[in-house]
Amino acid sequence: MADWDGRGLPPAASARLARFKAGGVRTSLLAVNGAVGAESVGFTPIGEVMGGAVQHLGWRGYGCGMYGGGSFGTARTVTSGQGRGYAGYAPYVKALYHGYDSALRRMVAEAQAMDADGVLGVRLSVDHLDQGNREFVALGTAVRASSRRRPRRPFTTDLAGQDFAKLLYAGWVPASIAIGISVAIRHDDWRTRQQSSSLFSGNVEVTGYTELVQFARADARQRFGERIQRAGADGAIVSSMGLDLRAIEPSDNHRDHLAEATVIGSAIARFHRGRSAPTDALTILPLRRA
Amino acid sequence: MTVAANNMGIPEDAMRRLAEMRPGQATSLFTSDLSVNEFLLVREAGFRPLGLVLGSSIYHVGFQMGRWSRNQELQTLSQAMYHARELAMTRMEYEADQLGADGIVAVRLDIEFKEFGSDLAEFIAIGTAVKADEPPPGGGEWRDNRRRPFTSDLSGQDFWTLIQAGYAPVGMVMGTCVYHVAHQRFWQALGNVGQNVEIPQFTEALYDARELAMSRMQAEAEQLAAEGIVGVQLLSLPHRWGGHTTEFFAIGTAVRPLRPDHVIDRPQLVLPLSDR
Repeated sequence: MADWDGRGLPPAASARLARFKAGGVRTSLLAVNGAVGAESVGFTPIGEVMGGAVQHLGWRGYGCGMYGGGSFGTARTVTSGQGRGYAGYAPYVKALYHGYDSALRRMVAEAQAMDADGVLGVRLSVDHLDQGNREFVALGTAVRASSRRRPRRPFTTDLAGQDFAKLLYAGWVPASIAIGISVAIRHDDWRTRQQSSSLFSGNVEVTGYTELVQFARADARQRFGERIQRAGADGAIVSSMGLDLRAIEPSDNHRDHLAEATVIGSAIARFHRGRSAPTDALTILPLRRA
Repeated sequence: MTVAANNMGIPEDAMRRLAEMRPGQATSLFTSDLSVNEFLLVREAGFRPLGLVLGSSIYHVGFQMGRWSRNQELQTLSQAMYHARELAMTRMEYEADQLGADGIVAVRLDIEFKEFGSDLAEFIAIGTAVKADEPPPGGGEWRDNRRRPFTSDLSGQDFWTLIQAGYAPVGMVMGTCVYHVAHQRFWQALGNVGQNVEIPQFTEALYDARELAMSRMQAEAEQLAAEGIVGVQLLSLPHRWGGHTTEFFAIGTAVRPLRPDHVIDRPQLVLPLSDR
């Protein structure tokens, strides 16, 4: 097999799509309830689609910048979102985004090759391979709508078939998956050390770490919001929010703390024109032992 | 759910909306931490989500040791838990206020003790800020008696049922008490070996601690002029303090009536033909 230059889909994927077009076997990763849900709103599963990328993470960033800008004795939190991509761990976040975006883009390319209108139940995973390599995989089920209009590009959502059906009945359609990532770094200054480790400091909020996690999460939510706006959607349903807080020691007696915040969800757009919800919940009481 | 619109129209309308979407067009953007079920039921209850709101604090919990053979509340630790939770909740409420919300639903309060430092814990409060389409039936407003957005840890489904039943959430109420349970005296412990016997000081300690936590929760509800507390959880959490020190935590949502009767529609009884 000739070396692939990274553009478009790898030869193996193109070959599979060619086989799919020639044959007629449909595949799906949806559960039974999910498939029935999607069918009930007029969407048929046509095939499973996958996008993957292996990203090497070499140089991660500029570090904490010690006291840069803070008042005497106190450090400053540096988030990856400030300074137009030249601050803190911005290169690392850019690499992560590149990994996710490549995987999602290739998955959508496969869906487009199948003439799909969208991808449901997307599972995003990140695996650590050795030597600083990470594998990003996006796996989902492509669906086709029984509709004359086609969207500009296939929509993507991490919602399962059942949730997708409920949203559509209520007049909302998923547009795309939105991801917000931010890494904030803060040097452990004197005040932070004193508040966090002394036996005698009593009940006190550790202002340094609190600021670190707040800034990281706020920046991640900001990025998430930007992605939703870029997609032109009306809002989002967040499916996971994570925060990883760890200590690093770049040199002797110099300790920093790093917070990596991630927000992942589905951007959704409203298509019902009425003021109130078009659906009516029915309360039921199942007659079986719980 | 019952569907009002024609089923066949749905994919057509959805695709048209996607085809018309333009990047960066002005919208009233919202994010929400609710699940899909919760999102739709909160909409049906007449509230629209404004945004995900979050407050957090990394707190150093002070050191306090209890006397070996006495049942006592460890007040320093109790105060720490109160203060830290208050910091997180206040920041979350501030964000909701900025969004102009009437209330916050599906609030999650989490505590995560950290591996680094000593006795450091992160207290996080996350919820979804909502705004009502209409004022409550019977006049007034949805905010509580101090004009702050209401908070509720009820799920979307419970929230919808509460509104249907004619109650409105007023605020989350909490009571906490960090209690040190006395150790048995040596001879007492020796005498208990192999016996089926009640240990009175342990029993008394648990009663006292729970009573303190629940009465503090009730006091908070009284301050909010609530009629009752629903969805109460009574937790005993050892955190990182070892076997004899436990936090007793009572949390619930205080409610007030919106109308004098509280009759709800009788639910349909169904027999599912599946196991799950």
